[in-house]
Amino acid sequence: MGKEQQELLAEAKKSIISFDVDKAKEIAKKGLTLGITPAVIISEGFVPGITEVGDLFDRGQLFLPELILAAEAMKAGTTICEAALPKSELKEKKKVVIGTVEGDIHDIGKSIVVSFLMANGFEVYDIGRDAPIENFINKAREVKADVIGSSALLTTTMEGQKKIEEELKEAGLRNKVKTIVGGAPCSQGWADRIGADAYAENAVDAVIKIKKLTGLS
Amino acid sequence: MMAKTLQRMGDGRMVEMTEAEVRKDIEEGTKDAASRAKIPPLSEDEIKHILDIYTRPERIVSVEPGNEVVLSHDEGTVKINAGVCGGAGLGIDCGRMVASELYERALGADIIEYGHIDYSFKPIRPILADERILVERALLVTTAPFLYGAMPNLGLYTQPEGPFPNPTELLNKGLIKEARESGEGMVEQAVNDMVYIASGIYEAGTDAINLDTTGAFGDLDFAAALTATERLKKKYPDLCIEMGMAGEFILGIHGTITYDGVRLAGLYSHQQVKLAEKAGVTIFGPVCNIVTSRSCAWNIARVITFTKACVKASKIPIHNNMGMGVGGIPLNDTPPVDAVTRASKAAVEICQLDGV
Repeated sequence: MGKEQQELLAEAKKSIISFDVDKAKEIAKKGLTLGITPAVIISEGFVPGITEVGDLFDRGQLFLPELILAAEAMKAGTTICEAALPKSELKEKKKVVIGTVEGDIHDIGKSIVVSFLMANGFEVYDIGRDAPIENFINKAREVKADVIGSSALLTTTMEGQKKIEEELKEAGLRNKVKTIVGGAPCSQGWADRIGADAYAENAVDAVIKIKKLTGLS
Repeated sequence: MMAKTLQRMGDGRMVEMTEAEVRKDIEEGTKDAASRAKIPPLSEDEIKHILDIYTRPERIVSVEPGNEVVLSHDEGTVKINAGVCGGAGLGIDCGRMVASELYERALGADIIEYGHIDYSFKPIRPILADERILVERALLVTTAPFLYGAMPNLGLYTQPEGPFPNPTELLNKGLIKEARESGEGMVEQAVNDMVYIASGIYEAGTDAINLDTTGAFGDLDFAAALTATERLKKKYPDLCIEMGMAGEFILGIHGTITYDGVRLAGLYSHQQVKLAEKAGVTIFGPVCNIVTSRSCAWNIARVITFTKACVKASKIPIHNNMGMGVGGIPLNDTPPVDAVTRASKAAVEICQLDGV
């Protein structure tokens, strides 16, 4: 790859970190003109940008409204690139159903995970807080979800995450969807104990783990 | 072959690690904290001190006589009988007054903390009269300083439980202006509730109010707690206010909300305490949450790095938050005593804490 193309990819990353929607669009168009494949503009330009945004958020150097603005820049740039992709290379967005389990009304962590997932190109169905277990199952069935994510902040409500596993088996869906758990009282040990596929320590970790679960990394 | 020591992970699992591995974790933990908060990492002596504590074979470790510190609690007495009504606690059906007496007489608590089972300010408003009576009566049977605690918990002000649209949901729809306006409305209502409730409880006789898990809803939550503190201290200059935080830095939900001209989003413990002091807080409780996938040695190095900077910056007493999943203590309902005593000793001795 030539110097001009490498510089363009660096600019692509910068456009996301500076939440510059117009710049992201301009870079996407210019990159295609320079002959960089759309997939490379996304994976080596825009994705490193949103990844750095996630890291800055995790360190308290960037805040939720800015994450949303970065996500808008990301969407602007990737939309142009995806339009240029051959139909055979166009991948369907991975779908995530996410909610806070029944009896638990804490949702700030879950909402931040939603923001991060949307910024990273996932199709997210947020079923809200205090969500009955059947809502997770029904929504996952309805949208043909790839992943179910559940959040619990209390030791008394985390049992709901175990119930999701049981209900999925009873519904014959367990092999069709991956599960990930999160929330203050959760741990990898808890995920292992209930049979969840993954545990996320925080929002940044949730994106990494869900990308892995869905074969995106 | 290098000798192995028994260590705990952040989720409470016991693992074997060599001394060199423990040391590496301590070094990495302090570097992580230092780089995030832009504060100095621990010194070589401090690293060695933590290493010594964490590689001792004894189950229980402690401080030397004379170096004991005061303990304050969040929701302490409530945890004795919580679980009877569905909360998380010991589930001993004894009522809060008896729990207060048990806490002082049987468990030797330095400070009694009373609280509502929900432990948030918003649900107390309609039952304040009942809480005041119970506080008055509990004060008659206890002698230790009496704290009444609750969380600002701004999340309860969002729909459907509260009147305001959820700012995080609005943000996810790209409605930043609307999210900020909703958040500012939440702050105003929460401040009104906190001042009304704390005033009632103080007039019932409590020595102090504990604003617990301040910052749980990010910068909005912190703004509400600081503003409520300022108003309460103007009203009652002798009221003691303890402010316990929710995380090592303030989440930016609003992103631009300020207190005394300082943006609240992104502030770390050593910066949070300065604003708490300005508002009139009497005791400050910094928080550092556990990372369950790392060792307790890694976690405590991180905790101490943040807390040491906070103690250095502070003119008011610091009671470091330490407990389930906080302050380097594993995420277990009943954390193991080896982990609790190690974390407490290390934090008290290195940070020169006033309390825990």
